[in-house]
Amino acid sequence: MSDDDLNKRIAKAQAEIDARERPKYMGSGKGMGLGFRMASDFAAAVIVGVILGLGIDALFKVSPWGVVICLLLGFVAGVRNVVATAMKANQAPETGDKKGEGDSA
Amino acid sequence: MMVSTDPMHQFKIEKLFDLKIGGLDVSFTTSAMWMVIGVLLLIGFLAWATSKMSTVPGRAQSLAEIWYGFIAGIVKDVNHAPGKPFIPLVFSLFSFIFIANLIGMMPYFFTTTSHIAVTGFMAIFTISLVVVVGLMKKGLGFFKIFVPSGVPVVLLFIVTPIEIISFLSRPISLGMRLFANMLGGHVALKVFAGFVPSLAVALGGIGMLMGGLLVMPLIVGVTALEFLVAFLQAYVFAMLTCVYLNDALGEAH
Repeated sequence: MSDDDLNKRIAKAQAEIDARERPKYMGSGKGMGLGFRMASDFAAAVIVGVILGLGIDALFKVSPWGVVICLLLGFVAGVRNVVATAMKANQAPETGDKKGEGDSA
Repeated sequence: MMVSTDPMHQFKIEKLFDLKIGGLDVSFTTSAMWMVIGVLLLIGFLAWATSKMSTVPGRAQSLAEIWYGFIAGIVKDVNHAPGKPFIPLVFSLFSFIFIANLIGMMPYFFTTTSHIAVTGFMAIFTISLVVVVGLMKKGLGFFKIFVPSGVPVVLLFIVTPIEIISFLSRPISLGMRLFANMLGGHVALKVFAGFVPSLAVALGGIGMLMGGLLVMPLIVGVTALEFLVAFLQAYVFAMLTCVYLNDALGEAH
């Protein structure tokens, strides 16, 4: 029981420290990191689409349809990656201080 | 002159001594040497910093504590309680990438993270870990991440392949970003630096003056940017490891 109480107090103290100190050394560079992430996530999805398409073509002898369809899917997946990242980044400031259990998004 | 200004020359891997085990070439290379040096530096520094532990930390101990707290903070923010066993892993990944990037910033040193063999392996390891942990925690339910809930059945035929491609793109994105940033940054540095001797050779004294006044400040700026990128890429790698681990640890969404 007292263990639980202590954990709560530690969490509370930690949250206070975080609120005070975090912005100082976390704020800068975060946007740049996000930019790198989006760019490479988009490119990687397209590359994976092409590789998958080439593989399907070679396996099932349906050239060029595998590449055509998988490239399109790759573009869609790339856009999906970027949109998901952007949405998560927009959400973060509002849900950040709640710290609810299970907000896996 | 050609060799010294060739921007790709710095990434050449040379064998320090030959070693063959079972027909496989496992020679000790410059890349491996700098990786070992990086790891030894890390272990050495952390062991030294935490050898004289005191309640009021000294300089080295407080640096080590901030370092650890930074990573633990990321893991706690992203994964909450179930992420706790992965703090050492994320800490190791971050520290290794960071120290390798920093070693690469020193003149004449070798940047191990500018080779996709290194970064790609770390990325594949991370994603494999996500899959293994996910399968262990959720069993076959792990594959639900490919089937988003609340989507009509007809659309699932399109959405599932997209989700699978999106998942497969993660190791490539993870490995490629780090490798491309380090490679690109070092090539840019070398090319800009190469302007100085080129200008001096082409225009003589005026060229040397131009190189000194115009190009050198640029190189200083790019170097500063590279130090930022060195930290940022390590941070992004650690952060994304946590985000991807969430697929395995968090509940389905």
